[in-house]
Amino acid sequence: MEATTYNYKVVRQFAIMTVVWGIVGMLVGVILAAQLIWPDLTFGIEWLSYGRLRPLHTNAVIFAFGGSAMFAVSYYIVQRTCQVRLWAEKLAAFTFWGWMAVIVLAAITLPMGYTTSKEYAELEWPIDLLIAVVWVSYALVFFGTIIKRKVKHIYVSNWFFGAYILVIAILHIVNSAELPVTMTKSYSAYAGVQDAMVQWWYGHNAVGFFLTTAFLGMMYYFIPKQAGRPIYSYRLSVVHFWSLNFIYMWAGPHHLQYTALPDWAQSLGMVFSLMLLAPSWGGMMNGIMTLSGAWHKLRTDPILKFMVTALSFYGMSTFEGPMMSIKTVNALSHYTEWTIGHVHAGALGWVAMITIGSMYYLIPRLFGRESMFSTKLIEWHFWLSTIGVVLYIAALWIAGVAQGLMWRASNADGTLTYSFAQVLNTMYPFYGIRLLGGAMFFVGMLMMAYNVWKTVRLGRVVDDAPIPQAVHA
Amino acid sequence: MDSGMISGIVTAAFVVVFIGIVWWAYSRGNKQRFEDAGRLPFEEDDAQGIPSQRDITPAKQGDKQ
Repeated sequence: MEATTYNYKVVRQFAIMTVVWGIVGMLVGVILAAQLIWPDLTFGIEWLSYGRLRPLHTNAVIFAFGGSAMFAVSYYIVQRTCQVRLWAEKLAAFTFWGWMAVIVLAAITLPMGYTTSKEYAELEWPIDLLIAVVWVSYALVFFGTIIKRKVKHIYVSNWFFGAYILVIAILHIVNSAELPVTMTKSYSAYAGVQDAMVQWWYGHNAVGFFLTTAFLGMMYYFIPKQAGRPIYSYRLSVVHFWSLNFIYMWAGPHHLQYTALPDWAQSLGMVFSLMLLAPSWGGMMNGIMTLSGAWHKLRTDPILKFMVTALSFYGMSTFEGPMMSIKTVNALSHYTEWTIGHVHAGALGWVAMITIGSMYYLIPRLFGRESMFSTKLIEWHFWLSTIGVVLYIAALWIAGVAQGLMWRASNADGTLTYSFAQVLNTMYPFYGIRLLGGAMFFVGMLMMAYNVWKTVRLGRVVDDAPIPQAVHA
Repeated sequence: MDSGMISGIVTAAFVVVFIGIVWWAYSRGNKQRFEDAGRLPFEEDDAQGIPSQRDITPAKQGDKQ
């Protein structure tokens, strides 16, 4: 018999774990920010040293928090816009437990110091294999559901999710090609500048397809739903999709300006990064203009505030990114705190805020409630996170530019004007502001956890969400 | 063929592809199809069968503030 309800179980599991991993990942971030001010904060315990916690933080927020959110919303949206129950539900359940296993293994091995030393791909080869198996299962479930859809069209969010799933599979498999030596040690299949180029082809496309394409799919569903009107221009979203994905693929070399990478490749990376501004802003406008005629909702609806602020930060960081890829700007900004600020404008301002907004929409529906337990708390969460991000990035802009200028300053005889320690000293006040901003964002997440907890307690587990039975043209 | 020539050909090809995509997205023949696709998120009842007040409210002129 054909299923008449949607599979909400796996969506619910991932949605709850999004909040849990968000708190874990951001807590580690706050500890790291504090360690920069007080290096002895963790009493010299090696498992808690900066170098080991740092990859734990990045992996936890990107793959545990962001990843869980993406699994949750893509499984939810693909079912609801295709009007069918998930295909291969056992496999979908495997993706949940498999992904959680990956996260737990990461949380154990990274503090122990096992790492491939590739940024955002630090996990060692046995975990890489598990990721590949989980990801291929994810692809099967997702595309299987698309294939058995009851409606004629494939909604634009699903196009974005499809691109994200496909490209992440390719990136992960190519970049993780490595020769195992022992269970916990492997060597990359690539060497020298090729290794660097493969790594940053992976690294930048992880930003492009994991943190951008995937979350745009989220935006294209939840903003129309929350605003109560279809996307401003569906046709623009189609152009957005193809041009964004096409251009992103070539921007990776901007991570390697002024390195041993051939000059033409550096310039190519810069040009494609500059071109990215157009589709990025097209997408941002499309999302924001969806509210035209419904602007008043922004006054009263903190969920919409989260979503629209997320888009504003998306616009800001997709302007900042191309600018920083220009070689002369990069000469100043690279290796400074400015880069960290830019990343967090994107990661906290865009990715986390669109995720938080979407979760506030999604979670009540998974637990049979009209809305979250407290709208007031969402409002508080919104202001705490917004002010937190602004403090964070403003502090690191100033710190980064100061750092860049001090590093490059030289005396008439060619010696450096400032020692490393002098530059570090200048950073302290800004590290303090950054810690404050990060801590505010973290406190907001704790409020969210409380709000979710109360919502779940008051609600009921929804396993009977009906699939519309109408006949579609 | 030198690298400048190759860059030129590749650039021209990319421009043609881009114009093709825009033409396809905005062609009159595809208007209805994309409008239908854009309404997909709203062709459903809400999760618990409770009609949600958030579900599609027709756009009104003069609703701007």
